[in-house]
Amino acid sequence: MKIPVSLRIAALAVATTGFYTYVGQLVPQKEVHPPVEVVLSKDMSQDEMRRVGREIMENKGLCLTCHTIGKKAGPLRFPDLDGVGARAATRRPGMTDVEYLAQSIYDPSAFIVPGFNPGMPVINKPPIGLTDDEILAVIAYLQSLGGTTTVTMQTKLPYQTGGGEPAH
Amino acid sequence: MKRKALLAIAVAIAGFAVTVGIATFLLRREYRAPDRAPTAAVEETPRQQGIADQAAELEKKNRELPYKEVEYRQFPKVGSRVAIWVVAELHLLFAAFVLAVPLFALIIEFIGYRTKDPRYDRLAHEFTKLLSVSFSLTGTFGAFLTFMLVILYPKFTAYLVSVFSITFLPYVLLFFAEAFFLYTYYYGWGKFSPRVHLLLGVGLNLVGTSIMLIANAWLTFMTSPAGVSEKGALISTWDAVTNYTWMPINIHRIIANVAFGGSVAAAYAAYKFLGATTDEERAHYDWMGYIGNFVAICAFLPLPFAGYYLAKEIYAYSQTLGLTMMGGAFSWLFIIQAVLIGNLFLAANYYLWLGMGRIAGAEKFQKYIKYLLILVTLCFMVWATPRSIISTVSEIRAMGGSSHPALQFLGVMSAKNTAVNVLILTTYVSFLLYRRSGKTAIVPWAKAGNLAQLAIFLVAASIVIFLGVYGYFVEARVRIAFSIPQVLSVLFAMVSVTVIDVFMFKNAKKEGEPRWGQIAPISQYVLIFIAVTFTWLMGLMGYVRSGLRQHWHVYGIMRDTSVDAFTPTLGFATRVVSVTVLIFFLLISFVFWLASLGGKKDWAPKDDSPRGEDLEAAP
Repeated sequence: MKIPVSLRIAALAVATTGFYTYVGQLVPQKEVHPPVEVVLSKDMSQDEMRRVGREIMENKGLCLTCHTIGKKAGPLRFPDLDGVGARAATRRPGMTDVEYLAQSIYDPSAFIVPGFNPGMPVINKPPIGLTDDEILAVIAYLQSLGGTTTVTMQTKLPYQTGGGEPAH
Repeated sequence: MKRKALLAIAVAIAGFAVTVGIATFLLRREYRAPDRAPTAAVEETPRQQGIADQAAELEKKNRELPYKEVEYRQFPKVGSRVAIWVVAELHLLFAAFVLAVPLFALIIEFIGYRTKDPRYDRLAHEFTKLLSVSFSLTGTFGAFLTFMLVILYPKFTAYLVSVFSITFLPYVLLFFAEAFFLYTYYYGWGKFSPRVHLLLGVGLNLVGTSIMLIANAWLTFMTSPAGVSEKGALISTWDAVTNYTWMPINIHRIIANVAFGGSVAAAYAAYKFLGATTDEERAHYDWMGYIGNFVAICAFLPLPFAGYYLAKEIYAYSQTLGLTMMGGAFSWLFIIQAVLIGNLFLAANYYLWLGMGRIAGAEKFQKYIKYLLILVTLCFMVWATPRSIISTVSEIRAMGGSSHPALQFLGVMSAKNTAVNVLILTTYVSFLLYRRSGKTAIVPWAKAGNLAQLAIFLVAASIVIFLGVYGYFVEARVRIAFSIPQVLSVLFAMVSVTVIDVFMFKNAKKEGEPRWGQIAPISQYVLIFIAVTFTWLMGLMGYVRSGLRQHWHVYGIMRDTSVDAFTPTLGFATRVVSVTVLIFFLLISFVFWLASLGGKKDWAPKDDSPRGEDLEAAP
């Protein structure tokens, strides 16, 4: 029996799309949800701040999309954050670790680590849009990477505006 | 005579006035039932009464409610996002086809005009046959998409309208101009002087491209907004139009549209070839398929470079966006893309190799095909190698991590850039062999020309491979910059070798003309496979361009707060793409069928059929 040409063409189209759909099922399947808002209270302990800070860095802050923590081999696109808590105090003369970390987050183009390209977005503005309290928690975690956490939820940073939410 | 005419007009006016007067009189006296029947006349059960009371209460509540703007509405069953996704993609596929076909139809018509060869004119006309119904479908899907946006995403649509309000009227006017040029170009074939007709084609292309530029402004603004404040208020519409990704998308889309349009036109030729009943038809559609595929591959070769430019601008706009695309949620999508592009290269090369069979004297090149196949396959494998692989715990332990100890080196940018550039060069060599089939250069400098071409190829390939290997030993910013000399050396090789070849084979001795129509039927299925793969690739890349924004309607300005704000899995995305592609091919088959009707005989009643007898017997 001779199969009509139109049927053969249709079968080819279905088989081709079917094959690509199958390839699509073979790759890792990950559903990415919008970042969950973390509720921060002003009386959080430094331990809680560090835990929440790490959580924010992984999710809403998108920090770990670009930065690594403790990467030992291979090329780096952006600075590895292992030991940043210790480096931060000496990175720029006249700046404390908290001041340097705050500047890196609120005004990242003010200083570019030698050997790297500029490219970090302003973190308290959309699309990331962390609030001042969320940034304090992130700084608490960053300080703990090789240093000691000194910030608390009461710490005042020169950049704080209370912003962080997008327009709409 | 004049008096009679005046009298007739007066009688007609009087008659009209009398008719209107009688109708008005009768209507005033016509019996009309009251708008609502008295409730006492209807016997109600307690349940009916309850329902009526509930409805009355609801109506009363609704009357008291103030007007409230709705942010989102839900599309039944599949949800709003999938509904918009499918309709937008179908609109885009038809629009791409309608924009692309006039571009190469005009070039083919111009070649026919210059060479006085009527075959080209017939070919261009045949391509244009596919346009009119496709244009209607593009417009229909465009209107469908607009209504869907207004209904399902009213707040977001209102925002886009507020930013781009001044672009809509020109867009609509251009659409009218497009209709004018398209239909005059198609129906005016052979009715005007060739120059006037060519000018109509130029007008059609200019208007079509302008429409695309405006629509591109809307969609690129969503990815890389500009011309608005941080809060989203409009500052400059011009800046909003000329945002970061506008020009890269314009360039990428023009090239991709031509590649896609060429492949779909080639699929049409393949469909006609397979159904052809005469050698003449087969010869014509074989030639048409070859030209369509040639157009598609010519546009396809520089497409990765346009893709690099677009990706570079996305990174320049936002590193976060760039890294989400290449290193985050969408990184695995580029492995699927590599499978598609690898298949396209394989199929394109295979078609060229099969095509050599129809040229006398092509046998001398057959021995090279196996080496080309090995190269294409190796490059395909490198390109499709992921950096990290999905493995079980024991496999991860055995490998010492999620990456394979040896294969991980093929999963990085340096290896992939090298593979794709070598793939492009290899396909170009296939084309060059096809071009030379059945010809012998007779210019005195033929030997030197061949050597020069070989040297150019070797130098280009060496640059590509050297930079690819060296990229492993330098830091990221240097490595990324290497892609530019790699691309430039490949482009230089293709352009310079073509120029040498054109002059070298200008008056070449021919061992035989191509025997059009004498090609294995499987070649036609290859053309259809290429068209389906191109369409699927467009669907996939459309998804990443749009999905890149993740939970933002307008990146960084307007957040998506609907139930569909999450980014679906790649598996789900590929299923939606497949369904869209199949719907597109169902509709384009209808276009093909309609285009074929023109060549069929008019319907006539059969003499021996009962219907024919009936018709004959009718008074």
